[in-house]
Amino acid sequence: MHDVWRLVAPRSYLDRQRRAGLLFVLPALVYFALVFLVPLVESVIGSFYRTVPGGESRFVGLRLYEKVLTDSTFWQAVSNTVSLLFMSVPATVALALMVALGLHRLRSIRARSVWTAMYFLPFAVSLVAAALIWQWMYDPLYGFLNHLLNRVGMPPLHWLQSLEMVRPSLAIINVWVRLGFDTIIFLAALQAIPTEYYEAASIDGASRWQALRRLTLPLLNPQIVMVTILELIFNFKVFDTVYATTQGGPAGASQTVIMLLYDTAFKYFRLGDASVMAVFVFVSLLLVTLAQWRLFRRQVEY
Amino acid sequence: MRSRIVCAVAAGVAVLTLALAPPTAWTQPKKLVFWTHWEQNPEFNKFYETRGKDFAQKSGYEVQVVTVPYQGYEAKYLAALVGKSGAPDIFMGMTHHWCGQYDFCDRMPADLAKTWDDSLPKYMVSVGKWKGVRYGTPIEHGNFQQMYINTETFKKAGLDPDKPPKTLDDWLAAMKKLTVLDAKGEPTQVGFALRHKGHPVGIADKFLPFAHAYGARMLSPNLERATGFANSPEMVAALQFYADLVQKHKVASLVFPTPEDAFGQKRAATIFRESWYFGWVKKNAPEVSFKVYALPCAKACPGAGNLFPWTNMVYKNSASKPAAWDFIRFISNAKDDLDQHQAQGILPVWTANLDSAYVKARPDYQSTQEMLKQPVPPEYYHPKSNELATAFGEAVVAALYGKGQPKPLLDEAAAKMDRALKD
Repeated sequence: MHDVWRLVAPRSYLDRQRRAGLLFVLPALVYFALVFLVPLVESVIGSFYRTVPGGESRFVGLRLYEKVLTDSTFWQAVSNTVSLLFMSVPATVALALMVALGLHRLRSIRARSVWTAMYFLPFAVSLVAAALIWQWMYDPLYGFLNHLLNRVGMPPLHWLQSLEMVRPSLAIINVWVRLGFDTIIFLAALQAIPTEYYEAASIDGASRWQALRRLTLPLLNPQIVMVTILELIFNFKVFDTVYATTQGGPAGASQTVIMLLYDTAFKYFRLGDASVMAVFVFVSLLLVTLAQWRLFRRQVEY
Repeated sequence: MRSRIVCAVAAGVAVLTLALAPPTAWTQPKKLVFWTHWEQNPEFNKFYETRGKDFAQKSGYEVQVVTVPYQGYEAKYLAALVGKSGAPDIFMGMTHHWCGQYDFCDRMPADLAKTWDDSLPKYMVSVGKWKGVRYGTPIEHGNFQQMYINTETFKKAGLDPDKPPKTLDDWLAAMKKLTVLDAKGEPTQVGFALRHKGHPVGIADKFLPFAHAYGARMLSPNLERATGFANSPEMVAALQFYADLVQKHKVASLVFPTPEDAFGQKRAATIFRESWYFGWVKKNAPEVSFKVYALPCAKACPGAGNLFPWTNMVYKNSASKPAAWDFIRFISNAKDDLDQHQAQGILPVWTANLDSAYVKARPDYQSTQEMLKQPVPPEYYHPKSNELATAFGEAVVAALYGKGQPKPLLDEAAAKMDRALKD
């Protein structure tokens, strides 16, 4: 209480500094609280109530948790999401790293800027637009990809129409969309590594591969962890691309948790059940992020 | 200096007051906001605005139509209706959802309700009602599937387009003749354009005529039970027949795009669709010559019924409820009904118009009459109809993709539907 009062009526230079700091972060705090915290708390509360919009709500304790967590459709959606995530995340991170390493080696700054911008462009495209572009590319009859396959004498593929192909096809869209963003982060991190390290390694006789393994990758570790976490969150919450292309089909093969959550809330009007799914997504992501942060984050100093 | 500051502050206050004042305080004329998601029927929707101008002359209220994209319309409606601010005065939807599961609808004034009850074809009287009370005005007659055939394709296959198949067995034989396979055995033209993608609710809807032809129904007559109905032997047989169209006979394809496009592109010889499709083909694929017939029969002949009973309702929290009802009353007459539907090329709703020159000149006149003569097929106007149809549609689409046999898939669906019904 005393500290709060000192922020309101600062007595010293340090108090004024603290108050200034607080005022600077206040807009962000208010924004975060209004846009993220309040809905999160409402979701948690909503998961204990059977809510009828325009009607009455009834407290049902853990009943909705029991219902959702024993529903095979929910676990099928979780399984689809995880499978999509395993296809997208490693591919995106690895490809972004490779592209960033390649761009970093370009001597011409102009060429590097042009290529970087090209890789980044898909990230600037709206997800729905990206999905529609790919839907056309994947079209079994008129699609660009099957046209290419036809030109080289290969049979057409049923990209979004086959139970086996649909998730890999969606993963390709996700990789395409996210590659530029991750590349930029890696490229910035690569440019921040002092060249002296490489000179020293070279003098010690390290090969390029050894420099990459022993120097570059450890120094990029914070960025790799961060990008992986961001990709994990993005892919776990994937909705727009799936909704615009397959709507969860064929036969539910691409229905993700967020798609099911959306349908549950807005098609079946079960806001309580949807809140349980939202809490599940939040807790899962929090646990995975914390575990990943603890296990893989290593501070490297040379 | 001081006076400048006072002026600046006064100007600021004035601007702020204007900005924060409710729009109705300074917007002229007054408006009724109408939300619809019938994006495929723009002329139909425009009619509300056109007649809204006439209505404005006597009431001072104009009508603003907002067309919400069909995909995800429920979320947008729900957010607006729950939030009250920015909600429409009149909105389109299904009564059993918005007035049944939710409580967003204003009860229709008794005189207007009587006008509608007296003016609708028998099978449509229940559309727009929840628990016997009328909330909505039905907007779509002919919201039942009929058989559209491509006459050229029929002729090429040696079939007479004036003698359509009357039974499902004859129909299947015709579909086989109409399907053209390439050297690899893949169809380049199919007999039947089948719905296989999109939301399971739509897939269930497109399968139901087959189920009804087999004498099956999705739910018990009192809509309280699915087991014994959704997985009845008749339903299993119907789904087996439907899946065989793709898996065994290959007269329908999972590769082709939406059925509407496939028919419009002459890649499919037949499609089962509602009356609005007539206008759609005329506009989007005018080179396709087609005829419309009643659906083929098996144990039963599918009659006139529907899964999507669309109506217009008035939002109960609207500040302009009386004006909204007045507008609906203003256009609740046989002439407006005919003009509005004719503008879009769809069937009018009022009984008085069912034998109008426009309707008689339509290619679906005979087939509509024929289907209206059949018993009304089962209707499923349940507040949870989306959830129930999803569970059922998932079984249908799984069978189409060969993910399982009809019987276990339908057993699972029925159990799931019963859980939803009990919950």
